[in-house]
Amino acid sequence: MATARIIESKSRGAGAANQSAALELARSMPRLTAEARRIASTAAAGIHGRRRAGQGDSFWQFRTFHSGESSSRVDWRRSARDGRLYVREREWEAAENVWLWLDRSPSMAFQSSLARVSKLERTIVLGLAVADMLVRGGERTGLFRLTPPQASYRIIERLAEALILDAERLDGETIETGDLPALSPINLREEIILIGDFIADPATLESHVAALSARGGRGHLLLIADPIEEVFPFSGESEFLDPQGGGVFRVGDAAGFAKSYRDRIAAHRENLRQMTSKIGWTFTIHRTDRPAIEALYALMAVLHGDVMRPSASVAAG
Amino acid sequence: MLGLPLAFAFPVLLATLAALPILYYLLRLTPPPPQRIPLPTVPLIRDLEPEDQRPARTPWWLLLLRMLIAALIIVAMAGPIWNPETAGSANARGPLAIVIDNGWSAASDWKTRVEFVSRTLEAAADRPVFVRGTAESAATISPGSPQAALERLRSLAPQSFTPDRRAQFATLQAFLTQNADGHILWVTDGMASGSDDAALADFARLLGAGARDRLTVIATAEVKALAIAGTNNAADALNVRVLRAASQPAEAVKSAGILRAYDLKGRALGDAAFRFDANATEAEARVELPLELRNEVARVEILNENSAGAAALLDENNSRRRVGIVSGESADTAQPLVSPAFFIRRALEPFADIREPSRGAADPVARLIEDGATMIVLADVGALSGSTYEQLTKFVEEGGVLVRFAGLKLAANSDDLIPVKLRRGGRVLGGTLSWDQPRKLGKFPEAGPFAGLTVPDDIEVQRQVLAEPTAELASRTWAQLDDGTPLVTGATFGKGTVALFHVTADTTWSNLPLSGLFVDLLRRLVATANAGAETGDVAPADAVNAKTLAAANRVLDGFGRFRSPPATARPVARGRNLIATEDHPAGFYGPNEALLAVNVLGPKDKLLPLKLDIADATVRPLETHPPLDLRPHALVAALALFLIDALAVALMGGMIAGIAGRFRSRAGLGAAALLLALALPLAPDAARAADQLPNFRPEDIESALVTRLAYVLTGDRETDETSRLGLANLTRALTIRTALEPGDPIGVDLTRDELVFYPILFWPVSADRPVPPPAAIDRINAYMKQGGTVVFDTRDALSERPGTTYVTPETRRLRQILAAIDVPDLEPIPRDHVVTKSFYLIDHFVGRYTTGNTWIEVLPRDNGPNRQENRPARAGDRVSPIVITSNDLAGAWAMNEDGQPRYPLVPGEGRQREFALRAGVNLVMYALTGNYKSDQVHVDDLLQRLGQ
Repeated sequence: MATARIIESKSRGAGAANQSAALELARSMPRLTAEARRIASTAAAGIHGRRRAGQGDSFWQFRTFHSGESSSRVDWRRSARDGRLYVREREWEAAENVWLWLDRSPSMAFQSSLARVSKLERTIVLGLAVADMLVRGGERTGLFRLTPPQASYRIIERLAEALILDAERLDGETIETGDLPALSPINLREEIILIGDFIADPATLESHVAALSARGGRGHLLLIADPIEEVFPFSGESEFLDPQGGGVFRVGDAAGFAKSYRDRIAAHRENLRQMTSKIGWTFTIHRTDRPAIEALYALMAVLHGDVMRPSASVAAG
Repeated sequence: MLGLPLAFAFPVLLATLAALPILYYLLRLTPPPPQRIPLPTVPLIRDLEPEDQRPARTPWWLLLLRMLIAALIIVAMAGPIWNPETAGSANARGPLAIVIDNGWSAASDWKTRVEFVSRTLEAAADRPVFVRGTAESAATISPGSPQAALERLRSLAPQSFTPDRRAQFATLQAFLTQNADGHILWVTDGMASGSDDAALADFARLLGAGARDRLTVIATAEVKALAIAGTNNAADALNVRVLRAASQPAEAVKSAGILRAYDLKGRALGDAAFRFDANATEAEARVELPLELRNEVARVEILNENSAGAAALLDENNSRRRVGIVSGESADTAQPLVSPAFFIRRALEPFADIREPSRGAADPVARLIEDGATMIVLADVGALSGSTYEQLTKFVEEGGVLVRFAGLKLAANSDDLIPVKLRRGGRVLGGTLSWDQPRKLGKFPEAGPFAGLTVPDDIEVQRQVLAEPTAELASRTWAQLDDGTPLVTGATFGKGTVALFHVTADTTWSNLPLSGLFVDLLRRLVATANAGAETGDVAPADAVNAKTLAAANRVLDGFGRFRSPPATARPVARGRNLIATEDHPAGFYGPNEALLAVNVLGPKDKLLPLKLDIADATVRPLETHPPLDLRPHALVAALALFLIDALAVALMGGMIAGIAGRFRSRAGLGAAALLLALALPLAPDAARAADQLPNFRPEDIESALVTRLAYVLTGDRETDETSRLGLANLTRALTIRTALEPGDPIGVDLTRDELVFYPILFWPVSADRPVPPPAAIDRINAYMKQGGTVVFDTRDALSERPGTTYVTPETRRLRQILAAIDVPDLEPIPRDHVVTKSFYLIDHFVGRYTTGNTWIEVLPRDNGPNRQENRPARAGDRVSPIVITSNDLAGAWAMNEDGQPRYPLVPGEGRQREFALRAGVNLVMYALTGNYKSDQVHVDDLLQRLGQ
């Protein structure tokens, strides 16, 4: 029979172990560049080429000089080769803001004997790994409502620090960290990655998601689940404790109850799926008994927006 | 109960078992608690209605377990007893006479018997009971309380003789006549002695038809006892006759075993194995030992048998022959070391008891015969006359051995107590007037007693007496020269033997007495005497001593162990093969020089099992299973089941997983606690073991582990505190400067404390304190003898007046102390003494004062060949046991707790305190390393020499 435990509050949150695990995970992936799917109006220069001419440092192409342009744009070295005037065009580099929201509610601090790690640990590792990937891909990443978006190469450490500080600030009022992000919208052209277990009333969830996407920002939900939550491998008389609300749910015969439990979980997930697809967001499920790299692949895939599905050959490259 | 040997102390309580069904329903109602599992998804399913909310039933096996626990507790309360004691025909309430055989044959399983009887007594409750051993005197039986009988039982022990049961039967009969409802319980060893069967038959006849009701016989299924009956010290081995009662015994009776022979002091001399043939009740063991050792054997016993019957005592009748020596030579006194008697004595001493009549005794031969000699050696005694001749003839005819040596007197004139007729004159070989060569020894004739001895070729016979050639001469020749001339002849006279050496017992006629062969020859002759004595029924010696009485020296108890004789042991008249009786328990009698052995069994005795079927009595086996109180077992079983129950409930409630997960590290703790709980019953044993240790002080134990400085507690607080602080500071200095790291200094009370732990002892002499008591002085003496060093400090350098006759009070007190101590010669520490170099190189041993002298044991002056005038250091072979100073060393060392010197120094110049510490360091290192430094100063020389 499977057993489960609640991680004590002291050992929750992002620790050094999580950081190094995230780094390891991120480095084991090839350098993926986020697909330039939309043109952001933000003028901030980034190192991320947009595959078109624009502001940037790296060379894109030479084109002939059009009259009326500023003469300072003429590339004289190229123009000296033949009689025409050329203008050196640079690739347009623009950074995208990608927000991360990691669910650190008490229900996340849970690990069963079937799982390798707790849900919280997996969430933080995945979150930090994604942040690293994105920064390497030229995006600017920040924790939603915690840090400004930044493109530091030490993004993992930065975010981990912020998480630790936040955990200290919130110590004791774990409910506030909440199951869901705050009701403040992200901008158009920004993306948000929500990682958590999303155990909440579907209506509440929908309202939060709607608020986030109010300005047209795109979002991705990654549901982290412990296998025990999915499989419900119990039998006999049982009392189930809610780690978050503190409630007790008593079942006379757990084995007999398993069917209706699984139905309920499946319905909940279906709800989430419909809700997200309705507004063009993605919804992915990851179980903590699976390797974290799977979730990372999945996340990168949805970030690329179905254009390029990562395969094993890409991972090896 | 139900055919099982099971009974209950309070059977009424078993009725409670009827209440178990009620318990069944109660238990069904209280199921184990549900498992508690944390599950984050609870909010999602909260509105679901589980189909089955009813709590689960208690599983049937858990129910059964709990019922079993309850039943076990009820049964335990009812006091179950396995093998309950129902002995002694419990139905009868009349007086009970318990007769227990306590002869030697009951010894091997005596404990079982006593246990059995005491259990019977406990079960007898209020019945009048009497306990009687068959080896006790048969007084009338007066039943009393079981407690009194128990006391009597405890005082009974197996006796080392075969009890006479006939008398006991008579008493028992009287008891039964007096008490019509009386009952007899006879715990017998099953061994019949003498007329027992007949006596039992008589007794049974008197009991008549009702015997079965009135007499219960408790007997072992098989008589297991083995016994030794008769030992025979034969020529080559000690033959021991081992007996058993049953010819075809069951498994329990040993059919083989080991005998061990001991000397009088209890040292084991040798072993011998014995094995009973099938259907045999007798076995023979041969203890093969050299004759000398065999003669030392005083006791033979069967190993692991532990009874007086399995031990046989041997006295002188069995061992050493008394050999009397009479020399015809009158000039022996002039040169005793070349006299014939000397050679004979030296040859015989190892294996015979030599008797030589005092010089000038009127009739030496008669005297020897009176002394009980079994062999008489006559060295060159010519014709015997009158009464001497008659006595000697009688002695030989009754089995004595007479050995005669030739000589001038015998050659001139002989009586007829010689084996062959002698020719007058003899012959001389190799003399000045003879052209013959001295003759060598020839082979020993096969028929004689010397057959098989090797013939050395360096024996030369120069002169001998010659035998008249007769027809018998050849058969009587025991040893001969290489030309066939008889050298030793022998013949039997009556039961005895006469042997004649045709040479002298000294070296004038031959060098035979110088050879080892001479010893061998005489040994063989003594062996002949042994054999002869065994065949003789009554030795003449015994006839002479028959009237003397021998008091008990030490006797055997029933288990075959020696003990001092009881008051009832009476002196025994000397005789052969004495058998133990109630008045004469087996053991040694008589004075230590002439012990007389009394054994339980004689050489012709046999062990016979008692024919119990003669009497029409109830015969029951000797119960060997004591009643077992099952209460603790039932309770422990209940507890174990209870633990299993608790474990099962915890498992079902999912608690174990939580505990295992959260308190994984505490599991070890729990296991340790469990082990501790299991070990608790053992703890009293350990505590008891601790109690048996000598009462060591904790300080002593610590001192034994750590080297530490010690000072003598004078009783004066100031002085003692100064000593303590001073030594503490010195200890610090030693720790910092040297490899020695002593423990905290300790004050010792000379009258009380053990001193052996301390290498050096500081003793500040105070004029105010009395001289220690003599016991303390003795301890100091012993301490100094075993290598300790005592540093006496009179602390009076300031008041000393060197060169005057004034003696300070402290010095006077020191002299008083030393008066009783063994003090070696002292000298002021010389410049080259090793103590000045043992760590620091110092000249003076200064303390608070610098003027006083320091005295130490005088070193031996080195006058040997290796003497070196300029040796830098000298040392004796040991550490000086005493150092005397007057400079108040401890006063200079002492620092207060705040690190400030306790006393100012006189004169206090420069580094005086440092030098005082150095002196202390040197003294301690000297006490610990001895002359090591004086050896070390030669290292240079040694290395140089090695280089060459």
